[in-house]
Amino acid sequence: MAVARPRRLGWPRFLAALAVFVTLLLVLPYSGPLFAALFPDLDRPLYQQQSFVSLVVAHLWLVVAAALTATVFGIGAGVFVTRPQGREFRRLIETLSAMGQTFPPVAVLALSVPVIGFGFWPAFIALALYGILPISENTIAGLESVDPAAKEAAEGIGMTGWQRLLQIELPLAAPIILAGVRTSVTINIGTAAIASTVGAISLGSPIIIGLNGNNIAYVIQGAVLVSGLAIVVDMGFGVLSQRIGQWKSGQA
Amino acid sequence: MIEFRNISKSFGDTLVVPDLNLTIARGEFCVLIGPSGSGKSTILKMINRLVEHTSGEIDFAGEPIRSFPPEVLRRRIGYAIQSVGLFPHWTVEANIATVPRLLGWDAARIQARITDLLRLLNLDAARFRSSYPHQLSGGQQQRVGVARALAADPDVLLMDEPFGALDPITRDSLQAEMTRIHAETGKTIVFVTHDMDEALRLASRVVILDKGRIVQAASPSDILNAPANDFVRAFLGKDDYGLKLLSVETVGDRMRPQISAMEKDSVLPSDNLRLALSRMVVLKSDRIGVRDEAGAPVGTLYLSDVVS
Repeated sequence: MAVARPRRLGWPRFLAALAVFVTLLLVLPYSGPLFAALFPDLDRPLYQQQSFVSLVVAHLWLVVAAALTATVFGIGAGVFVTRPQGREFRRLIETLSAMGQTFPPVAVLALSVPVIGFGFWPAFIALALYGILPISENTIAGLESVDPAAKEAAEGIGMTGWQRLLQIELPLAAPIILAGVRTSVTINIGTAAIASTVGAISLGSPIIIGLNGNNIAYVIQGAVLVSGLAIVVDMGFGVLSQRIGQWKSGQA
Repeated sequence: MIEFRNISKSFGDTLVVPDLNLTIARGEFCVLIGPSGSGKSTILKMINRLVEHTSGEIDFAGEPIRSFPPEVLRRRIGYAIQSVGLFPHWTVEANIATVPRLLGWDAARIQARITDLLRLLNLDAARFRSSYPHQLSGGQQQRVGVARALAADPDVLLMDEPFGALDPITRDSLQAEMTRIHAETGKTIVFVTHDMDEALRLASRVVILDKGRIVQAASPSDILNAPANDFVRAFLGKDDYGLKLLSVETVGDRMRPQISAMEKDSVLPSDNLRLALSRMVVLKSDRIGVRDEAGAPVGTLYLSDVVS
């Protein structure tokens, strides 16, 4: 039963966390008196430049767009270098994405501003580049973890290269690839907050403005929502990864 | 059914198969046997183009194998390997259905075929159909592997040491299944092993290989009675050579038609002499009764006839 327990609890826990987060999001606009009491020195204790809901939407939009791009390129690169025709590019891809990872995202943001200007795009590019490595690494690891016997059998009984990739290799690598996407997205939810330094609207906006204006209340409001969002999304991935690996527990 | 003509195979500078000529007839159970590095697996894999031959021509059903796209060729040739290679994320039935699905069979035909194959391999459909491979024992997995290889009713079945990783009891029962399946379906089977007892038991023809060359290709009893050279003799072994000889002859060949009432145990006319001898040793008797499958006495086998 030790195996079955998290399966049963995955969905309800995720929904509970989501409900708490949504409640928090809806209640926060009315929390002015609370923050006024906590920080009596502040003139404006509640962030009101944009609504919190619109900040969450903008933040998610930035993260989702970057994650989708990183996923396409990460899985694409991982698949390519594990095919016979791409094998020689493997070192190159690994080195490039490892180098990308050693760049702090702030540096990527700073470098892209002179080229692209302020706003959504430099943030998007920094996040997408930053998100590729965990996905391409895990795609390679996942594809290499596929039992060679299954691959040989798939080839020997007459599956084409695409059929083997789509029906056997990617489904079997999926749990590991998904773990890479999960890491990538979770990191980027945090990193997207920094994107506000280059003018993108996100949950980082109250944090950055709060830090500049010495307004701790703004920082707390932004930080609570960013971490809440990260937790909810991570739990969502938890539920998804249980579903995707369901054959392991033997239930159809 | 399969014809190798002047086939050679090199991996880089290493010549693995120098010049192979071999014809495997329709319905034959051809066992390729040899020590490691003898090229037996390479030869097998050249048939379905998992390994491409370097020169010469291989014909399948009268046509050069390179005239077929590899996938088309492979879907007409069943393939079972030692490590089985079931797809772990698919149920037993989805695994068996792989090739029929690739060939675009309709659902009803696939379902009917799965039912037939589970029965052929002695797998309880109700129990196994929706199981996942990791829920099965090694022997059961290999039964599913063989069912998957047979699913689209291929002309030829290739088996690469399929029972090499199984325990002796499971291996024994799967060998018995293969003999039965070969008799029932009449499939052409090419089977690779390094186990001489397995080869002698299953084969209609044994092809003994050394360094990519055929040393001897003959029926099990011809191999035993007239080994071509010392290599074959060494392969047959010294200590139980006599028992191997007995294992390729049946009780029916040596029994006397007289019926004795005193028998304590009996064998079938189709049992091999090795088994009959073993029973006599257990009985501490120099004779054993022979009964047919219905249990009617048909004769008596004497120790002196076994060893003569």
